[in-house]
Amino acid sequence: MSKSYDAEKETFMGVPRKKIPWWPIIDYDKCNFCMECDKFCSHNVYAKNNDEKKQLTVKNPYNCVVFCRACAKTCALDALKFPEKSEISKLIKKLRSESPGD
Amino acid sequence: MDKSLGVIARSVALKLIEKRPEIQLICPVLLNTGDEKYENFIKSTKVIVIDGCMTRCASKLVEKREKKPFKRIFIPDMSKKYKIKPSKELTLNEENEKLAEQIMEEISEELGKVEVKQVLKSREFEILDFFEITVDKYYFKVPKEGYYFNENDCWIKPEGKTALLGISDYLQNAAADILFVEFPEIGSEIEQFDDAGSFESSKTVLQLISPGTGKITRVNKTLENNPELMNQDPYQRGWFIEIELRDFEEDKDLLMNGPDYFEYMKEKIMKEKNHIDQIKSEKIV
Repeated sequence: MSKSYDAEKETFMGVPRKKIPWWPIIDYDKCNFCMECDKFCSHNVYAKNNDEKKQLTVKNPYNCVVFCRACAKTCALDALKFPEKSEISKLIKKLRSESPGD
Repeated sequence: MDKSLGVIARSVALKLIEKRPEIQLICPVLLNTGDEKYENFIKSTKVIVIDGCMTRCASKLVEKREKKPFKRIFIPDMSKKYKIKPSKELTLNEENEKLAEQIMEEISEELGKVEVKQVLKSREFEILDFFEITVDKYYFKVPKEGYYFNENDCWIKPEGKTALLGISDYLQNAAADILFVEFPEIGSEIEQFDDAGSFESSKTVLQLISPGTGKITRVNKTLENNPELMNQDPYQRGWFIEIELRDFEEDKDLLMNGPDYFEYMKEKIMKEKNHIDQIKSEKIV
């Protein structure tokens, strides 16, 4: 399924998506730019780049589905890292409690 | 074993463990010494008591531990029931051997009934009431009650201390035909929003992102041969794993109930539909 998101309006569990720092971090020491993650992700999170040393970038971090790590499974070199889930769920709970009813 | 009745009781027990290796024999003499291993074992399992004679030593030993036996066998009663008299010797004659065999079969059959009942219970699902919506050629449903969802389109259905987990109708539609499943390890601990296994369809590989925290107690092995159940019946026969809940009240903080998830899902579907319609119209122009 093709996805299009307006990151400004998107929310996750009632929290503005832009307040949740969840997206992949590329380890450029490991990445060999095979682009499997880019091919896999249907949310256009990644993009190809002309920079020789950073041929792959996280172009649309807020398109990344919070808690999804499926693309990391496609990476044979284990070059994709995500934040700690428990930290993110703690943050979401905190933000929700600060703006009840949103 | 100073009487032939005791010898028959012993034979029943030995035949039983031969037929059903999952059964463990408890030595009454050792139990009487307060052996710790036996004490703990008795607490956590079903106990079958086989009393040879009127002194009913085995029954007394179990009763002392305030344990209600699953089944009680009293050899003199069995002797009457099967019309076979115990011999006067301490060696089993052919007739008594037959008696021991029949008693063993009776116990085994009863154990079998319990197992069948348990299997049937785990496969019985109640009739659910759904919220439904059809968009283009796709039909989506969400149970009205009993299920909780995360925004990753996975559900949890608490049933006392345990809960079943699976994927929503939306996610199975998005994945298309599911062909393979990969389960997490039974006994492993998962936190809410951890990956709890994955499934592969003709289109993609997806993960079940756990709506709850707890220990994995069961996986739906049927899916290994019938992964299509996740598509056909995602809320019941297509369940994925079972967990022992740690604190569902806390899990619930970040979950939606059926009506809320239905609204969330509808919104998501309509956004995608609008996006696809937009692409189509751009192509036409």
